[in-house]
Amino acid sequence: MIDRRLFKIPGIAPRIVMIAILTLSQAVMIVIQARALSIAVVQLWNLKPLATIVTPTIVFILSFLCRHLLTVAQNRSFYPFVEKTTGKMREQLMTKLFRLGPSLVEKTGTGNMVTMALEGIDKVQTYLMLIVIKIMDMGITPWVILLYIAFMQWKEAVFLLIIYPVIILFMIILGLAAKSKADRQYAGYQRLSNNFVDTLRGLGTLKQLGLSKRYAGNVYSVSEDYRKETMATLRIAMTSTFALDFFTTLSVAVVAVFLGFDLMDGKIMLLPALTILTLAPDYFLPVRNFANDYHATLNGKNALQAVLDVLETPETKDRDELKQLTWHGDSALKFDDVSLTYGDVDTPTLSHIAFDVHGFQKVGIIGASGSGKSTLINLIGGFLTPDEPGHVSINGQKLPHLSQEVWQHNSIYIPQSPYLFHATLRENVSFYQPNAADATIKAACDKAGLTDWIAELPVGLDTMIGEGSRGVSGGQAQRIALARAFLDDSRKVLLFDEPTAHLDIETEAALKEDMLPLLDNRLVFFATHRLHWINQMDYVLVMDHGRLVEQGTPAQLAQHDGPYTKLRAEMGGLHALD
Amino acid sequence: MHSIKQTFAHDTWVMPYLRKYKWLLVLVLFLGMMTFLSAAALMFNSGYLISEAARRPGNIIYIYVPVVLARAFGIARPVFRYSERLTSHNWVLRIVSDFRKKLYQAVEVKASAIKQTHQTGDILSILADDIDHIENLYLRTVFPIVVGWLLYLFIIVGVGVFSWPVALLMVLLLGMIVLVIPLLSVAVNGAREFKQKQIQSSSYTHLTDEVMGLTDWVISGRYQDFMTLQKKPIKDIAALRRKDHFFQWWRGFGVQFFFLLAVLTLLIWSGATFTASKGMANWIAAFALTLFPIVEPFLEVSQGASEWPIYRQSIERVNQLSNDQPKLTPQSTLTAPVSEISVNHVTFKYPDDDKVILKDVSLNIKRGEKIALLGPSGTGKSTLLKLLLGDQTPTVGSVTINGTPVSELQQQRAQLFGVLDQQPYLFDTSVMNNIRLGNLKATDEQVKAAVEAVELKPLIESLPDGYDTEVQESGTRFSGGERQRLSLARILLQDAPIIVLDEPTVSLDPITERQLLDTVFKVLHDKTIIWVTHHLAGIDHVDQVRFLEDGVFDMQGTPQALYRDEPRFRKLYELDTGKNERV
Ligand SMILES: Nc1ncnc2c1ncn2[C@@H]1O[C@H](COP(=O)(O)OP(=O)(O)OP(=O)(O)O)[C@@H](O)[C@H]1O
Ligand SMILES: Nc1ncnc2c1ncn2[C@@H]1O[C@H](COP(=O)(O)OP(=O)(O)OP(=O)(O)O)[C@@H](O)[C@H]1O
Ligand SMILES: [Mg+2]
Ligand SMILES: [Mg+2]
Repeated sequence: MIDRRLFKIPGIAPRIVMIAILTLSQAVMIVIQARALSIAVVQLWNLKPLATIVTPTIVFILSFLCRHLLTVAQNRSFYPFVEKTTGKMREQLMTKLFRLGPSLVEKTGTGNMVTMALEGIDKVQTYLMLIVIKIMDMGITPWVILLYIAFMQWKEAVFLLIIYPVIILFMIILGLAAKSKADRQYAGYQRLSNNFVDTLRGLGTLKQLGLSKRYAGNVYSVSEDYRKETMATLRIAMTSTFALDFFTTLSVAVVAVFLGFDLMDGKIMLLPALTILTLAPDYFLPVRNFANDYHATLNGKNALQAVLDVLETPETKDRDELKQLTWHGDSALKFDDVSLTYGDVDTPTLSHIAFDVHGFQKVGIIGASGSGKSTLINLIGGFLTPDEPGHVSINGQKLPHLSQEVWQHNSIYIPQSPYLFHATLRENVSFYQPNAADATIKAACDKAGLTDWIAELPVGLDTMIGEGSRGVSGGQAQRIALARAFLDDSRKVLLFDEPTAHLDIETEAALKEDMLPLLDNRLVFFATHRLHWINQMDYVLVMDHGRLVEQGTPAQLAQHDGPYTKLRAEMGGLHALD
Repeated sequence: MHSIKQTFAHDTWVMPYLRKYKWLLVLVLFLGMMTFLSAAALMFNSGYLISEAARRPGNIIYIYVPVVLARAFGIARPVFRYSERLTSHNWVLRIVSDFRKKLYQAVEVKASAIKQTHQTGDILSILADDIDHIENLYLRTVFPIVVGWLLYLFIIVGVGVFSWPVALLMVLLLGMIVLVIPLLSVAVNGAREFKQKQIQSSSYTHLTDEVMGLTDWVISGRYQDFMTLQKKPIKDIAALRRKDHFFQWWRGFGVQFFFLLAVLTLLIWSGATFTASKGMANWIAAFALTLFPIVEPFLEVSQGASEWPIYRQSIERVNQLSNDQPKLTPQSTLTAPVSEISVNHVTFKYPDDDKVILKDVSLNIKRGEKIALLGPSGTGKSTLLKLLLGDQTPTVGSVTINGTPVSELQQQRAQLFGVLDQQPYLFDTSVMNNIRLGNLKATDEQVKAAVEAVELKPLIESLPDGYDTEVQESGTRFSGGERQRLSLARILLQDAPIIVLDEPTVSLDPITERQLLDTVFKVLHDKTIIWVTHHLAGIDHVDQVRFLEDGVFDMQGTPQALYRDEPRFRKLYELDTGKNERV
């Protein structure tokens, strides 16, 4: 019921002590309050005039108010800590998200990630707030009350003492049962949000396949599964609350009856009896409160676990091995027998890659679909880490991986499927360079061949695009991504992953003229299936099934009969129309 | 009150369920009230019991009834509570499943336009936030408030039996707790809760956008900007929530204060009234203790009330989503096989845009004909396909199949069209399941044959989990070209008479592309195919080529004729093969 990592949260110990002190004073107030009320009642019972109860009533009022003021004090003194902790946790989660990037989201799923960061952290907040105060309450208040009761009437005190461990035992048994259910419930919740996001993102496709109507059933059944899991947990949580309630309420009744018989036998006076009767519910109150919030606690605990698990995922280390770098004409990048294996497969996706590039070379990467071009580019961009360290080097310095901050500051990467954010066209284009001047943005759009289109838009660069706003054509989306790259000419390394795949030949040809000057004086990696680009490359890497099967200048490759010439021949095969 | 009325005016999410399950609702409320009445009765009875016992009556018989009652109330309270909670949760969770389905259906109807009007994050926030809230509307607002009021009434009537003036005083004091403080809460805290909720939903939307574009964020290296975006809402919410909590704690204290006054009233009143005899004085303890268990539901009343603005917003949001549903045109069915698709003088512009994309375009496609559609990026090829499919309706003109407008054939579209659009989506499930979406009745063998046709058999079979490999959300497990081909396999399985392909071979190398196109046209030889392409590989497979430019078809003919007669076509051809370049 408590994650041990809870106690490792910095700064929690002094707060716990603080809460303990407040709880203790509160317990004392509870006793005084009960005592004072009982005195007043007994006076009246003895048919004394109202004037005699003035003092006990005032004591009662003061202690009652004091007790509830202490509750406010507890909350107020603990809340800032909780707020700070969860706020920091959310920030850390976001930092982690940024650091681990898409690989984290692949594991957790978009929907789950988002709900974890928002709903999840809220649950953690509720949990922290509940758990510490309630546990303290449970650990202190009953004993103070019991001590006082024992002081007056040991028999009832013994009864109350004996019943307490029984209740706790019950709670532990049920708690254990509920825990496994709650874990399953949390997993169900994650599945639910992931499933929903996944379905929404693919809704268009579902509609094309004529399945979108039927998918409602799927949504319902995932939701029903979740409901059943929730209900299973709730049922256990409620049963445990019921058992507790039952025992405690019945105990109060039993105590009342005990007291009744004792009174009849004259073994006790009314005042202590009444005091005990008023105190009995308060004796059980902390446990009952705890049980009542048990379900919320389980949810919060699972959320905390999920968050902490993400926070404890290791990040890429040694990102600052390379101290300084400005890519220029003499710089060199070397891959020496680099291999890469994705997490869930046993055979390497890239094996024994070795090449040397230097200065401002234009390097084409070609190869069949699935041969590993994107993987290679990701490796060069530092978004994947080679299996073994020390096989890549920049300017002769051996590095564990290319996720070097200075290297990444030198490079721009246009991924195979860039994402358009829900933002204005301007913000989308200047995404890598948010402070770019308007003129620069316009120039970049111009180079990407977007000017005519933008001119037609009623609000031009301020048009909102992306999900939830105006649609753009496939080629326009790609050109917007290209414009991002054109914006920044300080970064000297360009990584392009099929930047023109969605463009028609004519647009591509027009764009090519504008693009070529931009490739000069830069180190360019250019993965493409459009082989005419190869004519403009200085060096070509030919990939096949994860191996680098050929490399050299286009002229060299054209000379001998290899995979490259085969690919070219295929394009020549087009001439079927002649 | 006015706002409440307004909220429920066109409500289809809350009221219908309340009506449908009214008896269950009554049961829940009854059980809720009985829970607290039993608790109060227990204390009342116990107070009397020990006072009476302290008189040391000669015979046990004098306290026999209270003794039995004490046990009865002791058992009744937890039993009532347990059944109340089980019933209410079970019911609420069940309607929540209905809600989720309903939400999906509301979104689904607008599927083709949903991308333009809603972000995934919006809908996610409705799912995760609003629907949960409606669930809490019952559990935290409706039930506690009604139970609180019922108890209030009960106490007043109960006290009123003994003394009207005291009952009046209780009306005031407890009225503060169940009426004034809740209203005050709504007034003071409501706005804050409302604001919080708004920030939270916009966080959903933004964060989802950011997570989906995470690759680009990471590449941009704009760590600081990313964090600033996150920190602001965190701070705002924290500030609001802090105030909110402070208010709640003090409000709790306020409730306790009035409660104290009520207890004192009862104490003093009973002290002043029950003085006639010692037997009468036994009631004093009973009255002094009885109220204590009732403070708990009273505390919940204010909390429930102050959360109302959140629920209101949620109810309005879900209602808004489901109320502005597009009007459906009456549907008809096509029984004869598709013989002709025609686009008649279609002019089209997007509803909220000025630009005319298509100008008086006409096109006739005979059964079994294969057409390639080319044209510069952004001219409207994909738009034309949307019109063909009935996802958009022409501004002027019509699109018909066998003479019936496509808008009337929407229910049949999956039987008519197999569509591979420009951004096909792979779902987070296995390869097998993904492809089978094309035809749910397909056998494993048929699925495997489709995979073979798209040249993926060796790859898939080499994977440790084979066809059960999970493709991950949006297919990230596979390369760009592989994803494209997996989606294509789905279409091959679908077996519809008209196949619409929007750039099916994007991200493919020339060799794979060539082989794939050969297979596709072989497998689909008897179908009508409309194929948008960006270059000329495989163009010899089609009967007709159409060039769309500036909203009109400006070149058309068989590929052979175009190559022979049109210099522009020849130039494209050469550009494509990488020959003859002047650059
Ligand atoms: N996350 C992943 N986990 C496991 N395997 C992967 C993952 N991503 C890609 N692969 C596999 O690695 C191989 C190389 O993929 P990559 O994306 O590098 O190909 P590519 O050459 O870019 O292909 P394309 O031209 O189709 O984009 C593919 O067979 C693919 O299935
Ligand atoms: N939902 C929309 N609302 C307004 N305009 C749109 C919408 N969708 C597309 N457009 C615009 O309509 C024009 C035609 O788009 P369409 O997607 O049909 O082009 P396309 O010919 O398929 O281009 P591509 O080859 O680049 O995919 C473009 O200028 C585009 O910006
Ligand atoms: Mg790729
Ligand atoms: Mg298109």
